Amino acid sequence: MSQQQAAAVLILPFLVIYMVFLIYPFFRGIWISFHDWNLLAVAFNPDAKEFVGLKNYSRVMWGKNITWSFFHSPFWQTGAVILALVTFWAKDAGRLKSSLAWLIIFIAFLIFFVMGLYPDEGGRWYDRRFWPTVANTILFVALTVPSVTFVALFLAAALNRETRAMSVLRTLFFLSNVLSVTVVTLIWQIMFSPRQGLVANITEAFGGSPIIWLTDVQFAMAAIVITTVWWSIGIAMILFLAGMQDISAELYEAGALDNAKGLKAFWFITLPNLKRTMTVVVVLQIILHFQVFGQVHLMTNGGPNDTTQVLVRYIYQTAFRDSELGRAAVMAVFLFVIMGGFSAIQLILGREES
Amino acid sequence: MKHVLLGAAIVAGMVVPAAAQQISLGRFFGACEDAGTDTTTSVGEACIIQSIINAASAEIDGVTVETLPTDWGNYYDQIKAAYASGTPPDVHVMHRHRVPEFAGLGAVADLSADLSDAGIDTADWAPAALDAVSYNGGIYGVPMDFHANLWHINMDIMAKAGLVDDGKPVLPSSPEEMLEHAKKVKNATGHDYLAADFAQYPIGVRLTLALMWQQGANIFDGDTATINNDAARNAVTAMTQLFDAGTANPQLNYADSQQAFLNGESAILVNGTWVVDFYTAEASKSEVALNNYYVADFPTLFAEGATWADSHMWAIPASLKANDPGKYSAALKVLAFINDHNIDWARTGHMAVRNSVLNSSEYASLAHRDEYTGTAAIARDTPPSAKYGAIQDVLNRELQAIWLTDKDMSAALADAEAEVQDLLDR
Amino acid sequence: MLSRSYYALVIVLAIPAFIWLVPTIWMLSLSFQPNDVLARTTSSTGFGLIPIPFTFENFFALFAFGHTPLWFFNSIIVALGMTLGVLVVSTTAGYALARLEFRFKRVVVVICLVGLMIPEQAVFIPLYTMFADFGWHNSYQALILPRVAVPIGVFLMMQFFKGLSKDIEEAARLEGVGWLQIFWYVMLPLARPAMVTLAILTFLYAWNDYLWPLVSAQKREYFTITLGLASIQSNFAQSEGLGRVMASGVIASLPVVGLFLIFQRYVVRAMSVGGSKG
Repeated sequence: MSQQQAAAVLILPFLVIYMVFLIYPFFRGIWISFHDWNLLAVAFNPDAKEFVGLKNYSRVMWGKNITWSFFHSPFWQTGAVILALVTFWAKDAGRLKSSLAWLIIFIAFLIFFVMGLYPDEGGRWYDRRFWPTVANTILFVALTVPSVTFVALFLAAALNRETRAMSVLRTLFFLSNVLSVTVVTLIWQIMFSPRQGLVANITEAFGGSPIIWLTDVQFAMAAIVITTVWWSIGIAMILFLAGMQDISAELYEAGALDNAKGLKAFWFITLPNLKRTMTVVVVLQIILHFQVFGQVHLMTNGGPNDTTQVLVRYIYQTAFRDSELGRAAVMAVFLFVIMGGFSAIQLILGREES
Repeated sequence: MKHVLLGAAIVAGMVVPAAAQQISLGRFFGACEDAGTDTTTSVGEACIIQSIINAASAEIDGVTVETLPTDWGNYYDQIKAAYASGTPPDVHVMHRHRVPEFAGLGAVADLSADLSDAGIDTADWAPAALDAVSYNGGIYGVPMDFHANLWHINMDIMAKAGLVDDGKPVLPSSPEEMLEHAKKVKNATGHDYLAADFAQYPIGVRLTLALMWQQGANIFDGDTATINNDAARNAVTAMTQLFDAGTANPQLNYADSQQAFLNGESAILVNGTWVVDFYTAEASKSEVALNNYYVADFPTLFAEGATWADSHMWAIPASLKANDPGKYSAALKVLAFINDHNIDWARTGHMAVRNSVLNSSEYASLAHRDEYTGTAAIARDTPPSAKYGAIQDVLNRELQAIWLTDKDMSAALADAEAEVQDLLDR
Repeated sequence: MLSRSYYALVIVLAIPAFIWLVPTIWMLSLSFQPNDVLARTTSSTGFGLIPIPFTFENFFALFAFGHTPLWFFNSIIVALGMTLGVLVVSTTAGYALARLEFRFKRVVVVICLVGLMIPEQAVFIPLYTMFADFGWHNSYQALILPRVAVPIGVFLMMQFFKGLSKDIEEAARLEGVGWLQIFWYVMLPLARPAMVTLAILTFLYAWNDYLWPLVSAQKREYFTITLGLASIQSNFAQSEGLGRVMASGVIASLPVVGLFLIFQRYVVRAMSVGGSKG
């Protein structure tokens, strides 16, 4: 049997399932986004859908009388300009890799442009919830990913020894990752309850008055982030551990000769060698948490007042609550563009390393 | 004689018993796994309905019922997903406000021709009940109850504040009076005047809507949204003044507000008819702080009486009627059974839909029933619309924004009006 | 090696480890307390972390009345099915992409790369309509198939195979051993560490999946434990049956935790094996 034939036999199962269940739906999703498609109506009458071209995109992402100005969000826009300039200088000074620098500049430009858009007199965004939902999702990711990364890194460094006790401790920290999302939300929803929750019980025992976490505008997002961090430490920690174990022991021995032990060893030997793992962990976390659904759906229902509404939940509600399949598909395409962007980033950065 | 007997035997032999039909039933109301089959002793919505369903499964010949529980907030998302994937439950509960949407699409079956054969007498239904399930000349479901918002009252707290007269609570007749009473309660007992779910389900919304209707206004009229107006502002302010005076907490969700009431931390709980028997049972327990429990009609704070009301009904998917006549008649038998047990369901606190039940002594002797007899007359709802669910979501969001996040009232009402207008225009 | 500073480290770390466990312990403790006590207060003893008053009633009720065992069984089937499917599909394709040369190889790699960028949640809507059109919802295949061909599994195996030395293969080829036999008898056994990691990740992912079963499984017989738990998590259950709901959570988690405890040594060993080969 030739390589060609063997390869065909080996590749085919994957390729078939992949094309049918990932690639084809992806393109079909784009096709759906060009239609005015009511979920129930079409279920009863397949001809009830109507081709509307880009109208859904406009109704989700655009508005009436939208104008642009440099002064609309001065904080973000000047910040973006400064970021771009600093990055440019750093690139020229050789302190920053070229590809990473251009990436940051591109993102800065995006921020500068997007934050300047706003509806003018008598105008409004057609879908008032879409962009705030995207912003919430970004906020959630911005809060969760660094937290998980740092805690996981710290734990991995502290627990990177082959003793019984360390093994037990690692297991204890990983345990929460094994639970399913509904168990996690069940536990934490009650934990945060002002009446029945552990947090409230402890607060009251110390004489405080309990915070109503899940319906308080300031604390709801924090509650979701805490829950998610508690839940997601495990895999990140294991990935860091694996990365650390890949670092050859000789490097540490050589370092010890130079009197670089403990913290110094961590800073000068471990961290630089973990760059690849760090990239993987961060990007995986971003992709994972950008698609958050369960925690928000079950704990806060997107509230209070949509402050914890996230993109995937909005897609679900648009499709199954409002029956608007076309618009939901538009948002899914948007999600793909963002996620695709991050995956592409990871690939580019990864290529650079090797 | 022999001929007759032989003939009868042959006919009897020819009647092949139908194989047991398994009916899937979708409902909310909560889970009650150990409901049993005794429909006369179960307590609470979840257990009463489940005991009725279990009894139906046990007592109807050749029919078993499999229940699909769903939580209330997610119910219609799941039902729609089920319809869209071609597998709706054979029988499912529905609110009357969804009839335009589902019947309009042809999702639920027109039962008018088959009801009397199944043993359901439509003449026994109260006219409002028949109206609730009718659409375009057809009957699209079997009504089960009217439910409305009530004021559940802790008489002990009211007494301490001097708000009890002749065994009945003294309720306000204007927003100003309500604030006065609220302060009285706070000063006399330190407890909140009023609790309700302002943070989760649309109960707070319905409270506000009721106050709008009491001023003769509604949220839309034909094709025009009418939310950003004085009536709405008055309605919202009537509530926010209580929050601002520290006599009510808008951050409590459904479970927490209910618990506050049961723990004796609030004089009044605005909730529905569905918890009357549950609270009665709780009040009789010594460990529960609530003792003297009274149920009152929603008071009239403005010009006319009004309170939010809706109706539960049971529907059958049109696809079942079209494709599986055997199951369809089995499903109708289940609906007939539920209809026969209307008195048991009314025990929850909901108002019955059958005249024979409404006029019975059994109904009149149900706990607290005489305390809120006025509710049926003031029951109101928003105008019918296929977009009811979406409209209610908009209102829920914007109103919650006002009392949970300090959003400016006029801005929120304006936004609500714009979005509802959008929905009406589509 | 086991210096004083090491013991100090262990003790210092044990505190956050315990704190990390508290929510789980709390769920466990509440599941052993009676519902009517919990409806009034959840901090009976030791902030509720110690189950006094104690009762088995919630667990009895679960097995007598609940559907939890059925849902749990469904989750097992779906998770095992998905894991098996992913392993089969990823090892075969991963090896082919890593080691074999064939026409259109670049094309296939690019197609896989594209797939890496498509997040699962972005395709659930068209997937939903596809399955609805064929009437395939409410089935095990609907719950398993969409996630089987995840490109990340293929890439993981591909990276792993690339990292193996070519000597064994070349020796086998010289002896005239066919490609498929090499794959089956030589490569697969070597791939065990990576396969274990992939299996664990996939199993956990399958167990946790909430959105897809939520839209696909409308019939109760096909609920997974994740979905079933969510369906009884409604507020009514919380205020009246807190102990029962917590007991469901415990039952839902016990087997996965048990499995993990058994296999975690394998995972750690797999990591170190992978490490020393690096």
